[in-house]
Amino acid sequence: MSNVPSSMSRWSLLMMGWLSFSAWADLPPLTHGLTPISPAVEAPTLKLTSMDDELVDLASLRGEVVVINFWATWCPPCRREMPSLERLYQAAGDEGVKVLAVDVGEDEDTVFPFLGAIEPSPTFPILFDTDSSVMTEWKVMGLPTTFVVDPEGKIVYRAVGGREFDHPELIQQLLQLHK
Amino acid sequence: MRTQRLTAIGCALLWSASLSAQTRTVAPETGIVTWETQAHGVTLLMAQILPDQARAFYGNRGLPTAATEAYAKACVFMTVLRNDSAPGAVHFRQADWSVVTASGEQPPIVAAEWLKRFESDQLTQSARIAFRWAQFPPEQTYQPGGDWNQGMLTAGLPPGSKFDLIARWDIDGKPFEGRLKDVQCAK
Repeated sequence: MSNVPSSMSRWSLLMMGWLSFSAWADLPPLTHGLTPISPAVEAPTLKLTSMDDELVDLASLRGEVVVINFWATWCPPCRREMPSLERLYQAAGDEGVKVLAVDVGEDEDTVFPFLGAIEPSPTFPILFDTDSSVMTEWKVMGLPTTFVVDPEGKIVYRAVGGREFDHPELIQQLLQLHK
Repeated sequence: MRTQRLTAIGCALLWSASLSAQTRTVAPETGIVTWETQAHGVTLLMAQILPDQARAFYGNRGLPTAATEAYAKACVFMTVLRNDSAPGAVHFRQADWSVVTASGEQPPIVAAEWLKRFESDQLTQSARIAFRWAQFPPEQTYQPGGDWNQGMLTAGLPPGSKFDLIARWDIDGKPFEGRLKDVQCAK
């Protein structure tokens, strides 16, 4: 540990390592592939309260392409991909691509400080699945998992694990769902 | 039946024989060691999680001290399995994996087993959810093109122990396995 800066304790380095595994584990780069769901299946109900205390109902978003991301603040790949979800939202939100991030098992007090530390900070709705029942309904087996729901309310793509959601090819793939 | 089993074992040996070389890297700042290998388009990676890291992580998420302590000393690894370019969907059950030591082999301890052990500790809902979902999945399917998970896996061995991890999966019913050799639990 001779090369540890004197102003930083080993403990803080370890915690930094925990918060960003990629700093010390050579994690694979994020890809931008989505798995087509064929045939497309009806999306389960998703009706949850957002950080702004609004009830968000997936059913009310018919006609839009909706990207639904299940995540938690303690999940390293979730944190890794979150800025790309915001960039996707900024790039395609006005063209009918909405993003909903469903936090699993945490509350606003935990999530709010985390969002402020992300660059760019998410402006899309953050929803709370506090008892993980919605996650179970959607058959999520690991975090993060992301679904793409088409304008007819059907799940057409899924991604297990982190992705680069603002990749031009992925954005194009989502916009195509409006055609 | 016996012929089928022997064929399956033979296939597994065949696939494992063509694994690429294993790498071992040490993080200069922390001394944490990472092992990684690739096989037929699948990446398997394990990085040590120090007992103090596990204590801090779960202590901050409301896991009771006794449960945190038992978990932190059980040889924890940040584990990644990823389908980069396998010829089909990769399906695995962690119960089929083996932690192999000189004295025998056992599967990793999965989340459900830990939660059973923690029953008397009366975990809060948020602590239970954080624990469950921060663990490497007990069962999962990864489609080609980048599906993956990262999660905590426990070998269930004392700190400093050495072992081989055999990860087993199937692609379209064909058995495959990847082995990480001489992996060491953090101290």
